[in-house]
Amino acid sequence: MKAKILVNAALGITIEILYTASIILSALLICVAFYLVK
Amino acid sequence: MILRPRLEDIKTIGYYLGKIILGLGLTMLLPIFIGLGFGEVNPVFDFVIGAAITLIFGLALTAVCFTEKDMDWMHGMIVVSLSWLAATVLGAIPLYLSGHWKSYLDACFDAMSGFATTGLVLIQDIDHLSYTHNFWRHFIMFIGGQGIIIVALSFFVRGASGAFRMYVGEARDEKILPNVINSSRFIWLVSIVFLILGTLALGITGTINGMKPVNAFFHGACIFMAAFDTGGFAPQSQNILYYHSMALEVITIMIMILGAINFKLHYHLWTGNRREIFKNIEMRMFFITIMVTFFITAFGLAQIGAYPQTIALFRKGFYQLISGHTGTGFMTVYARQFNSDWNHLAIVGVICAMALGGAVCSTTGAIKMLRIGIILKALKEDIKRVIMPERAIVIQKFHHIKEMFIEDKVARSALLIAMAYLILYLLGAIIGMFFGYTFLDSLFESTSAAANVGLTCGITDVNMPAALKFTYIFQMWAGRLEFMSVFTLIGFFIAAIKGKK
Repeated sequence: MKAKILVNAALGITIEILYTASIILSALLICVAFYLVK
Repeated sequence: MILRPRLEDIKTIGYYLGKIILGLGLTMLLPIFIGLGFGEVNPVFDFVIGAAITLIFGLALTAVCFTEKDMDWMHGMIVVSLSWLAATVLGAIPLYLSGHWKSYLDACFDAMSGFATTGLVLIQDIDHLSYTHNFWRHFIMFIGGQGIIIVALSFFVRGASGAFRMYVGEARDEKILPNVINSSRFIWLVSIVFLILGTLALGITGTINGMKPVNAFFHGACIFMAAFDTGGFAPQSQNILYYHSMALEVITIMIMILGAINFKLHYHLWTGNRREIFKNIEMRMFFITIMVTFFITAFGLAQIGAYPQTIALFRKGFYQLISGHTGTGFMTVYARQFNSDWNHLAIVGVICAMALGGAVCSTTGAIKMLRIGIILKALKEDIKRVIMPERAIVIQKFHHIKEMFIEDKVARSALLIAMAYLILYLLGAIIGMFFGYTFLDSLFESTSAAANVGLTCGITDVNMPAALKFTYIFQMWAGRLEFMSVFTLIGFFIAAIKGKK
């Protein structure tokens, strides 16, 4: 039971970090787009 | 008919306020241990004096106002608003004693900025500030980010049946768990888990970049507290620019975004409901508004060729944008560069981001994503009603943990708070213009203060007029508490003067 709670929490943190990474990558894409259009 | 408050009301408010102040006094003991650890004698005495005054004041208040009566809604709201003012005035004592603040008003400004997780500063010679005071600056952000009431509920006001009223008064209208005390403890659990992970990541990065391990981890802990609680203080005067590290900037971006996520969403993600992050209206709105506001800023910066390289645009443009959107206030440019290197369009993008904020029940300020989502959905519903046949039934739903309908009272509440924020932003801007600043600069600084962000274009300075310092203190306070408890306090004073016996 405790292991399941810990695994769920770890997966929850992982998905939150992936969400932040998706924002960073999308922002980088916008930066690249502006560099290419320039 | 307004009734004049009774003595019993004042005693109830005083008693619970005293308890919160006692809690604040106990938190002042922590910097004493930090100071002893670093061998800083004088700073330790500053905190001994500060803690003694705070504890005596808290004890006196609880003794004089002792009551067994429970709080009602009015009491809870007033206790919350007064707690934040008391924390500012008392928390500023050790800051002022350090000699790094020109006046007590300046120390109060920084204390309110810390508790409200804003990040605007009036400190002088920050680079030579003691570890003890630096820790306190960042620790008050941590306390303020969780919420002074959350701290009190978690450790000092156990069993108070008026707990929920204070919890709501501190702009947290969402209970994570059925019990408010357990909700408060879950908020601490999330913060402590991320504190360990974030400090490790920042400390290791600092060490790799050449800092001494002790300094790297001290800075790491301080920066984490300021980033996760979307505060914006930093241990050095150049803020995040001091470190010249892209890795550290990326880590802080991640921590800022994590701090802007709703604690209720953290709970659901951590307990197995992982799909919620894709469906939640706040997370969708957050992603969209970040991209839209960054596009505006990037377009503005591209117009004048401010940062022609991709990485420079990301590290300067996007960093300030995300720092503003999450309400943090970390900077990788100098304040004056907003005027010298940025054009109006780029600044407007950041102002919009600051005005919007992060998620409700997070550590951010401003209008917040849930309200923006509800307002847009309500607008869509109204447009559909006009377009569709009269007999058609139009129902608009949104997903926030569960499917919910847009009811009139929900839309009204979201609109009212959004409007109150817009008025507060504008009010500060107009007052700034009275002192000769341009409209855009005034609006930038006013939005930054009221939305508890901390980005500055240079107006916030020790030499700015005292009236403007009071204005920003009020904006930080009202913005952090989302108005209701502040309005209740104003109403209480009016009732005390004009009310019937």
